[in-house]
Amino acid sequence: MRRKSLYTAGFFLHFLLVVTVACRETIWVVARKLTILPPSVESIAADVEPAVEAALGRHLDPSNPVRRGLSTYWHLAGNEGGYGYFAPNVPSSFKLVFELHYPDGRVDSVLPRVSSPAAGLRVAGLLDEIGRTRYEPLREYMIRSLADATWREHPDAVTVRAVFGSIQLPTISEFEQGKKESYHFIFAYDFSRAE
Amino acid sequence: MSAWRERASRFLFPEDSGTWLTVLRIGLGVHVALYALSLRPDWNDLLSRSGSGLLGSALSEGILSEESPFIPRMGWFIDAGARLGVSESAVLTVTWICLLTAGGALAAGLFSRPAAILAWLLHLCAAKSGGFLNYGVDRFMTMGLFYLMLSPLPDRRSLDHRWRGQPLGDPELLGFFRRVLQVHLCAIYLFGGLDKSLGRGWWNGDNLWRALTRPPFDQIAPELLVRFKVLFPIAGIAIVVFETGYPVFIWLKKTRRLWLICIVGMHLGIGLMMGMHLFALVMIVLNAAAFGPAPRHTVAAEGLDDRAGGGLARGGLPASGSGVDSA
Repeated sequence: MRRKSLYTAGFFLHFLLVVTVACRETIWVVARKLTILPPSVESIAADVEPAVEAALGRHLDPSNPVRRGLSTYWHLAGNEGGYGYFAPNVPSSFKLVFELHYPDGRVDSVLPRVSSPAAGLRVAGLLDEIGRTRYEPLREYMIRSLADATWREHPDAVTVRAVFGSIQLPTISEFEQGKKESYHFIFAYDFSRAE
Repeated sequence: MSAWRERASRFLFPEDSGTWLTVLRIGLGVHVALYALSLRPDWNDLLSRSGSGLLGSALSEGILSEESPFIPRMGWFIDAGARLGVSESAVLTVTWICLLTAGGALAAGLFSRPAAILAWLLHLCAAKSGGFLNYGVDRFMTMGLFYLMLSPLPDRRSLDHRWRGQPLGDPELLGFFRRVLQVHLCAIYLFGGLDKSLGRGWWNGDNLWRALTRPPFDQIAPELLVRFKVLFPIAGIAIVVFETGYPVFIWLKKTRRLWLICIVGMHLGIGLMMGMHLFALVMIVLNAAAFGPAPRHTVAAEGLDDRAGGGLARGGLPASGSGVDSA
């Protein structure tokens, strides 16, 4: 009986965390006006959001043992985020092109390269992450790492220009009218051997 | 209060034959092996910390350390290897071999518990060190392996039981862990469906069109897709209904099989039309383990046939007079 009580308590605590983490994501998208809900609901979500963050220990200092304990547990159990994949809307996709400049003036354009389709899916996720990142040094670090990997495959290149942009997809009706996907420049970085 | 406790206990601890655990073990074992094989050409590049890789795990592991120093990561093995004079590349290769072996052992049911723990740990380390290179499949693999590792292994069809004579787990605990998986899947689909229902694009078909034409998921030419444009709003709404309705209709005896077929069909579609084969496989495995029907002969042979009030229905779930599969 005691064993069952322990399992029952564990069950409720575990799912309290699962549901709270999932709620946080839903409230986050509503509070940021990314849904079809009316403004009154959006303002309620914005009011509720801090309470949900607090319930998950997010208001605590990063070194606080409770926050660290919770964080560790949901990473171990695979519960660190919500389940709104492609929700409420499917985001734009991003494209990173490296322009490799050679000493003879030649310029080649290449994409980040991996050997398997499985890794290709992961690189696409990484580009989404770069596109969402607002913290400039982190963004530059990630782009530089990818540029370095490309550079190793093209050691003769003297400079690399990394051009990052988003791909705007046409809607069904736009596609029927002949509109194709379009590329929109977002930012670029120049890297040279000396750096 | 005691009546409530009794009902909760009947719901949380139904006796179970453990067929679901066989499905989960074999399914995740195969999945882990396929995951390892699919990433073999890029394994070292994705997880290298020394700057010879694609992004390097140093950044992910640094961010992880800020969150908690106790979250497993590949760096632990690389550091241990360095102290023993083993190169990073060799350590990563050994971890890959161990992960593949753990997947094979799980599929065969040999040393099930150590294999489940090893597969969970190594996959988690790879997923966390991969950091920014993760996507949904990694979280669902972690979740599935976490539950598998804690479940009462070995199961009836494992080599551990058949060859090595290891005793089976407590039927009530088998039922409990199946309940955990079932309830978690309900939460996943409820929130997934709810979040989708809040986007206009899921009601008019735009989001489905975008999902299928968005690189790198654009496996089918848009010229072909556009011929079926009338189906996009229907399919978009159907996905919202299947997901949001899952926590209700998967428990009703009359609709369980239909809902399971619809959800599995949806994941098959994601796998085939978007190229997300591993994501589709892990979701199908989790659904089949949680709500897949147990063969009738298995239930009868194991002496756990249908009983009123907390026994097993055909789906390995408790029978009830109302047709709702809960206590």
